[in-house]
Amino acid sequence: MRLSTKFLLFNFLAKGIILLVFLAAGPFVLRYFAIKSTDRQLIEKRNEVLGIIEAEGIENFISEENPELGFGSYNILKEEYILLEQVPQAFESDLIFVEERILDNESVTYRVYSYAFEIDGENFLLEIGRSLQTIDEIEAIIFRILIGTVLLFFALSFFLDNAFNKSILRPFSQIIEKKLSHIKEPQQFSYKAIETNTEEFVLLDESLSEMMRRIQKAFNQERVFISHASHELKTPISVLQTKVENLFSQDGFSDEQMDKLMDMQQTIQKMKKTVNALLLISKVNNAQFIKNEEVPIHKVLEELIADWEAMALEKNIQLQFTGAENFVLKESNSSLCLMMIRNALVNAIKYTPESGKIILTGTWEGPHYRVSIQDNGPGISENLLKQVEDGTVFLKDVEKDKSGFGLQILYKVALYLGVKVEIKSGTSGTTVSFIF
Amino acid sequence: MRILLVEDEKNLAMEIKAFMETEGDICDIAGNLRDASENLAVNPYDFVLLDLGLPDGDGLDLLEEIQDYQEQASIIILTARSEVDDRVKGLQLGADDYLAKPFSLVELKARMQAILRRKSGWNRDLIHIGEFEMDLNSKTISFQKEEINLTKKEFTLLHFMIMNKNRVLNRFQLAEHLWGDHLEDDYQSNYIDVHIKNLRKKLGQFASTDWLETVRGLGYKIKA
Repeated sequence: MRLSTKFLLFNFLAKGIILLVFLAAGPFVLRYFAIKSTDRQLIEKRNEVLGIIEAEGIENFISEENPELGFGSYNILKEEYILLEQVPQAFESDLIFVEERILDNESVTYRVYSYAFEIDGENFLLEIGRSLQTIDEIEAIIFRILIGTVLLFFALSFFLDNAFNKSILRPFSQIIEKKLSHIKEPQQFSYKAIETNTEEFVLLDESLSEMMRRIQKAFNQERVFISHASHELKTPISVLQTKVENLFSQDGFSDEQMDKLMDMQQTIQKMKKTVNALLLISKVNNAQFIKNEEVPIHKVLEELIADWEAMALEKNIQLQFTGAENFVLKESNSSLCLMMIRNALVNAIKYTPESGKIILTGTWEGPHYRVSIQDNGPGISENLLKQVEDGTVFLKDVEKDKSGFGLQILYKVALYLGVKVEIKSGTSGTTVSFIF
Repeated sequence: MRILLVEDEKNLAMEIKAFMETEGDICDIAGNLRDASENLAVNPYDFVLLDLGLPDGDGLDLLEEIQDYQEQASIIILTARSEVDDRVKGLQLGADDYLAKPFSLVELKARMQAILRRKSGWNRDLIHIGEFEMDLNSKTISFQKEEINLTKKEFTLLHFMIMNKNRVLNRFQLAEHLWGDHLEDDYQSNYIDVHIKNLRKKLGQFASTDWLETVRGLGYKIKA
């Protein structure tokens, strides 16, 4: 998953959770503050009523003739009421509670403040009520506004976060795309600085460039070394080879001397092939081969079959070629590609016993093209395969297993060309697959 | 033919010279760029065999001079250096071919002949061997106008042997011509035997192939 997507997802989830908690707790919080506010208003009202009583006298509210009637007042919408009545006995009351009242056959829930007080030895009870219906309605309106605001905030912050993430991570994406993901060899690296004022990205860009400079320097040094080593190794072999060849063309050698010359020629060939194989591996590792060719793999397979069919026939090996669907490998190197597949096919012919069978296929497997060479030879030991895969193969071990550099070259070339190699080997044979 | 061999490794130069002289060619040796320039200024050459790593500079620097003063000369670059760029650069600068060291002398000679054939306007497209006719243009071989089906490798092998007729070619030389240096396989000499056997079988159906001799313990020879 992309980093920007992760950021966005995190923001989305984190904000979502916070907002959900906020929305879930909203009604309770609103209710709490609404009740607190109502209670405060009730206390203020009590103080107001007590002030009026003190100023105007209790007799304006409680008739002296019929004190049991008390005083009651509801406003028009019955949202608030005040009740004042004389009580026979003194008692303590300073309570706020919720109570249902039936008014005109209608049940109304009130927040009621009940307060007992004494004037001139007489005891009175004051009740001030405020309908909770209004509070509920206000609460509902506030809650709806809250939900709307929250959703708007959520949507806005999603788009803003997305835009911000993209903008802040743009240099990072450029580093990934221009400097990492499309770079297969150090030579392809661009040292052009990425435009950004984010310190961390500048540092990352500079560090990558610095690291790549070092790698490229080491690569160049290795290239020069390989070139010199090649010269130093190949020149004496050339001298030996030409000397032996010239001797061959001379007359007057006995059979024994000729045999010795052939032995020398064979040794020179071995040296030559070893040096060439080692240099080839080094050059592949050093990315010295140009990859700018289109390679029609199905044609490579046809060419290989035509070239090697005679060898297979000589051992009475059945060389089957099935399902070679068309596939052109782009930006590759045709001679390396041919060498890679040829090594596998030659190995198969070499190790498949007389009257054996080799099946060569080239087929599409989803987006990938797979070339498989299956034989019924004795198989490759697990240990050797591991050594070749790890690149830790030793000449001596290889010689013992008679595998030479063929497999090693195959692996190195495949790695360089970006081709996946699968080797399945057992007692019933070996299947080498190249997945393009 | 007169050949200028630009090679600083004396031992190698002497061997190539000796080989060319047995082929009837005249071969001058220059061990560095300066001597090569002097030779080019004085003598006309048909071929320049040019090593790249010379003590006083890069052999590639001489390419322009050769083309300026010896327009008729064909150039083959011989080098032990491994860089792919050298090959591309050399061919771009006008070299006719490129042969990596260590090379077989018969391979070198075959390349020279191929260049000569190409430059002489393809006037020897048809080669006769025994009772067979080899067409180098269409890469076919026929007997009394009847085409014989040879594989690409069999044709290449036969052509190489014809170019080196009357010379014993061992299996290594033949294998190197067919597969180059990188066929990493001790069995390749056996593969040559298989190709020769098939050639004899395919051609033998039409006429005698006595001209294709096996030299016991050494290799093969086309006697003509």
